[in-house]
Amino acid sequence: MKVNPFIFGVLILVLFFGLIGGAKAAGIWSVSGKLTSTGEKALPTGKSVDEIKGWMTLGDVSTAYNVPLAEILAAFELPADTPATTQLKSLETETFSVSGLRTWLAQRLDQ
Amino acid sequence: MTTAIHAPSFGQVKPRRKGLAALLTHHTFRRLTQLGVFLFIAAIAIRHTLVGEGGSTITASWEAYCPMGGLETLYKYITSGGKYVAHVHLSNLVVLVATLAVSLVARNAFCGWLCPLGFIQEMVSRFSAFVQKRVPGVRGAVKTLKKRGAKLAVLDRYLRFLKYAVLVWSVGGAAAYGFMVFRDVDPWAALWGLLELSVSAGLVVLVIVLVASLFVERPWCRYACPLGAATGIVSKLSPFYLKRESDACKNCAICTKACPMGLPVHTATTIKSVDCVGCLECVDECPREGALELKLGVPVFGK
Repeated sequence: MKVNPFIFGVLILVLFFGLIGGAKAAGIWSVSGKLTSTGEKALPTGKSVDEIKGWMTLGDVSTAYNVPLAEILAAFELPADTPATTQLKSLETETFSVSGLRTWLAQRLDQ
Repeated sequence: MTTAIHAPSFGQVKPRRKGLAALLTHHTFRRLTQLGVFLFIAAIAIRHTLVGEGGSTITASWEAYCPMGGLETLYKYITSGGKYVAHVHLSNLVVLVATLAVSLVARNAFCGWLCPLGFIQEMVSRFSAFVQKRVPGVRGAVKTLKKRGAKLAVLDRYLRFLKYAVLVWSVGGAAAYGFMVFRDVDPWAALWGLLELSVSAGLVVLVIVLVASLFVERPWCRYACPLGAATGIVSKLSPFYLKRESDACKNCAICTKACPMGLPVHTATTIKSVDCVGCLECVDECPREGALELKLGVPVFGK
């Protein structure tokens, strides 16, 4: 059966954007690890250290894992006056890394 | 006095389109679609760069809309119960599903109608053709270069397999190492990385692709694109195909010259190549009624 190229083009657009639109409408969509599928800011839950990301703040981690901020700062020899709103990735130094924080936190939670 | 307008019969030369009719072609439709997708991604990338990542406003990165990211994270997503490799989100998987669905139904049409990197390559080739048409010196130089490089054309069919190796490496590498090994050499990532003054090996690949596009259409798609390799395989199951009617065709080879993927359309009867991007430029350019048409059916085989 012969097909008009215009119809072919419309089919492509309807199928592609229809599926994406459908997924969005169904809540199966997130364009950032910082956002939930409903568009709200994603926060650590405290269930697994793997969820800790560089964009999270010291305060986010401290609250979610119930670990005093001062203890985290001391463990990694960070200045005691470091604000809780500081993103983890901006603290990357020889003594601090996100993966290092995950390991330390996992060990501390196991104790 | 009345003028009767007769549609050309089978095999006759199609009447030349004039005025608005010349503009209202599927070619214009395709170009507008490609441009729209490119501008959307550009707007996303610019906004993300301007807003930055440190503030309270969270913006999407252009990477969140790339189906290749979905392909690279697929292994980790399945084996880890829903986790992604870095820089990939749920949106990548959704766009991947949409891309594969388009390929399954409408051949490799994602590449021909929606992929912005394919669009950029086509624009560079059009620019090259534009300059060659108007500057005899450039035309002559390109002609000489192509003549000298004609012997290399034999490599074309072998080089086309390279993209499958890139596919295995990029998806296998992400599965083995847990991060996107392809990202550093990805020309698309390199293009938007420039907004953040980030330079990677992908920038070298991007420059090679753009320079090559001056001489060969869609070089990245033909030889190296891992996403096109994957969608091409899926597209084999599509019910759409191109049919050349030898009774109407005069073997002028205009269709072959129009094909951005360099497929020998004028020597085939049924075109179902994994490299066909469904752009339908060949159908648009074919001067004879009924000689080359898009068909819906169930052909399993074809060039």
